[in-house]
Order: sequence, then C-alpha cells, then structure tokens
Amino acid sequence: MSKKIVCYCQDLTEVDLIRAIEEGYDHIETLKRFTGAFMGPCQGKMCVANVLKLFAHKTGQSIENLRVPTMRPPVEPIPLGWLATGIDRGKDEEEI
Amino acid sequence: MKKKYDVVIVGGGVQGLSLAYNLARGGLHRVAVLEKSYIGSGASGRNGEMIRSAFASEEWIRLFDKSLRIWETLSSELDFNVMFTRNGYLVLASTSEEMAACQNNIKRQNELGLGTCLVDAEEVINLIPALNTQVVTGGIFQSDGGFARHDAVVWAYARAARRLNVDICPFTEVIDIVVKSGKVLGVKTTKEDIETRTVVNAAGAYAGRVAGMVGIELPLEIYRLEMMVTEPLKPFLRVALSSPHILGYMHQTTRGEFAGGTGLENPLPYTGLKSTRVAAQNMASKFVLLFPGLYGARLMRQWAGVVSKTPDLGPVLGAVEEMEGFILSAGWGGYGFMGSPAGGKLMAELIINGEAPAEIRPFSPKRFKTGKLITESTIIGLAEKNVQ
Repeated sequence: MSKKIVCYCQDLTEVDLIRAIEEGYDHIETLKRFTGAFMGPCQGKMCVANVLKLFAHKTGQSIENLRVPTMRPPVEPIPLGWLATGIDRGKDEEEI
Repeated sequence: MKKKYDVVIVGGGVQGLSLAYNLARGGLHRVAVLEKSYIGSGASGRNGEMIRSAFASEEWIRLFDKSLRIWETLSSELDFNVMFTRNGYLVLASTSEEMAACQNNIKRQNELGLGTCLVDAEEVINLIPALNTQVVTGGIFQSDGGFARHDAVVWAYARAARRLNVDICPFTEVIDIVVKSGKVLGVKTTKEDIETRTVVNAAGAYAGRVAGMVGIELPLEIYRLEMMVTEPLKPFLRVALSSPHILGYMHQTTRGEFAGGTGLENPLPYTGLKSTRVAAQNMASKFVLLFPGLYGARLMRQWAGVVSKTPDLGPVLGAVEEMEGFILSAGWGGYGFMGSPAGGKLMAELIINGEAPAEIRPFSPKRFKTGKLITESTIIGLAEKNVQ
C-alpha cells in the first residue's frame, strides 16, 4: 500500500489515522493525543487541514463543525534562553 | 447508559477510571463513569507523568508504594502498554538544608522497606552529567521509580473497565445529585437521570463543586499548575527528576521531548486553563539554571491544568459521615496520576467491603474535623508557603 503522509512532524500516514479512529480514538482531542498529530514541532500548522479533512470524512461530520484542538503558545518554537531571566547569557547575548 | 447503577463515579479521569475497573474486577458490574468532557481531559492528561514512593511521611510512603508495586505490572494487567519507564526517580538537593532533609527522609523510607538511597553530588552528576554542578549537593534516588505515558494510562483503564461492562459516558455532565433524608438516591445529568445509592466524587479540580451538590462543604481549593515541553532532543535525562529548590519536576519523554513544570513562588489569582507568560519565564529560567544546555532548546508548547488541594495537601479518601452513599476520592493535588493504581484499587475495596484498607485510612475526610492532619514535606510543584 502506498504511504500517504498526513502529518509531517510525526510521519503519520492516512492509514495510521484511520486505524486510530477505528480503534475508538474518534474525538479530535483523543485522536491528537493517540497519534501525536498537532503535537510535533509545527504544532499542527502544517497538518491541520489534512487531519481535519480526513477526520471529518471518516467520522461523517461536517468539517465546519469541528473544533481545532487548543493552539498553545508559543506561536513558533523559541529557545528557552530567550525566556529565561537571571541567567548568565554569555557572549552571544547581544546577538539575541 | 442504564437507568440504574450500583455505583456512579463522577469524573472520567485516571482515578475514576481506575476505580471503575477495580470495582468491576471485584465483582460489581453495574458501574458508570460520567465525564463532562472527553475522558482524561482534566489533570489526568496534563500532569508531569512522574512516579515515586520516596516521600517523607509514613502515610504517603505506604499509599504510594502500594501504587508503585501496581505500576510494575500495570501494562500486562490492563493489556495495554502504558509505557511505564522504570529508569529511576531522583529528588535533587541543591543546598545543605535540602540535603539534611534528604538524610532525614531516607531513614524513614528505609525503615518502611523502600530501596531508596542517598546520593552525593558526584553520584548525581554521574547519573545526570548535563546538570549544572552549581545546583547539585546530592539527593535521594529511587531506582524503581520513573514515569509513564499519562494518556495511555487513561485509555488502558477505560478499555479494561469497558471489557468488564462498565459504562463510560464522556460528554455527560452531572448537574445535580438527588438526596433524601441524608442518603444519596441518584444523579441528574445533561443526558438522562440515573438511580444509584452510591456516588463517588472523583471530579478532580471540580470535586468541591460536586460535594456542594449534596450540601457538603469540603476544605478543597482549586490549584493551578503549568507545564511545558520542548522539541525532541538527544537523550540526556533518563530518570524522572524533581527539584524542591526550584519547585520543579521534569523528565525526557521517549520521543525525546523535555517535559516539566515549576511552581510559581507567588501563585496567580487565576484558575483558568490559559497559559501565562509569567509561568513560561519561570519554567525557562529554572530549567536553564538546572540544565545550561537547554538554553538553545526550543520551547514547543506550554499548557495549564487544575487540581484540587486540601489543607495538608493529601488526598481525601473515603465516605463522608453526613451523607450516606457519598464517597470521596478527591484532593489528590498533583499526585493523582502516580496514585491512581492504588487509589482505584483501595477505594474499590472500601466500597465493596465497606471498610477502608489500612493504606487509605489516614486520608479519611474525618481528619479535617479532628485536626489529625498529615505532615508531608516533599510535595513538589506547589509553592512552599503552602507546604506544612
């Protein structure tokens, strides 16, 4: 069977998601946690359209009625050092 | 959902689901779990996943060691891989005062048969070379502690309970509890009404509200915690690590993500689930202090969770005198996840036999009236000023 990658961070395929839904992870929040979709470095930005489309189709729901799992900060991954206070930042502090 | 159950459990978190599974295993098959959202949507899916029994007090050690022994074989018992990773749990001491506390605690732990050992700075660095030596004085190492995958534990208990004919009802909120002459008669939900003589309050952060439905005021407060996770990193932290010094707890997941949380020294007057910048900075500063190598590690996500906590920070377990058929498994604070295997098993014994097993007897709700509170000094993540 050809592999259709749906989520690029976790290498999830269409078949992975379909199997998960059939296993009973048929709410978008449990599907997210079971498969790891939305939980990689892109935090769902790349896969959201793919996952929702497939999920809506497989569960017979309308895509307009689906709620996207909570988008959590930060918008893009940022180094912890940028947030840390009271830490000796060393030589490259100026560049940051 | 049926019209009548022997036991109705309010809250589809890891405690409620573990209890449902253990009740069914003990022979009660008319059991329902009512969850207002999806199962595991509360603190069960938001916690730090860490597991130990190396506490300071006899009460906590006995309860959580019972749990640890069940964790060892939980995946096979439930026929679901909960990814229990027994690489050890280190309580880090960063000052001589903290080391003195460890020396005190290890005596009690060894008396009670725990295989914990006191480690010095060199041993800690050997165990975790990435740690900043400036913050390492020593600690207590529990080699059979570790962490597990929290969502998997929720699903494992839910599946095992369903196989034993427990009805698990997500998106079914309890809106009232029907009582008459001091006895529980049933519950009203957003779906149908149910008849039952036994209601268990396993509603996590919202346990106080559920108790209010039967007119009981519990000394429970909602406490809010935040956590964060980085992008996957090369393996550098095998063990579960907690640091009383920074009110922090952390581990590296099997995907390589560094996940952890720290308590705020001054908790915010807010109990919602939105993330805050104050917490992000608190966590980042402390984690970079402990692990200078995390300076460039990228924060992927942060989130919040809420729990209920009692005046002595210990769970409140057992029947209440004022209302027949109303039973509590609440106030677990940040320890409901690691305590869930024992919590569910012991509470099921209490319900089936009508008598509290020894491990949970000290945690009875009576203690808030008699004043026999439990003193446990190694609670991590809650601001120190709240610790007894």
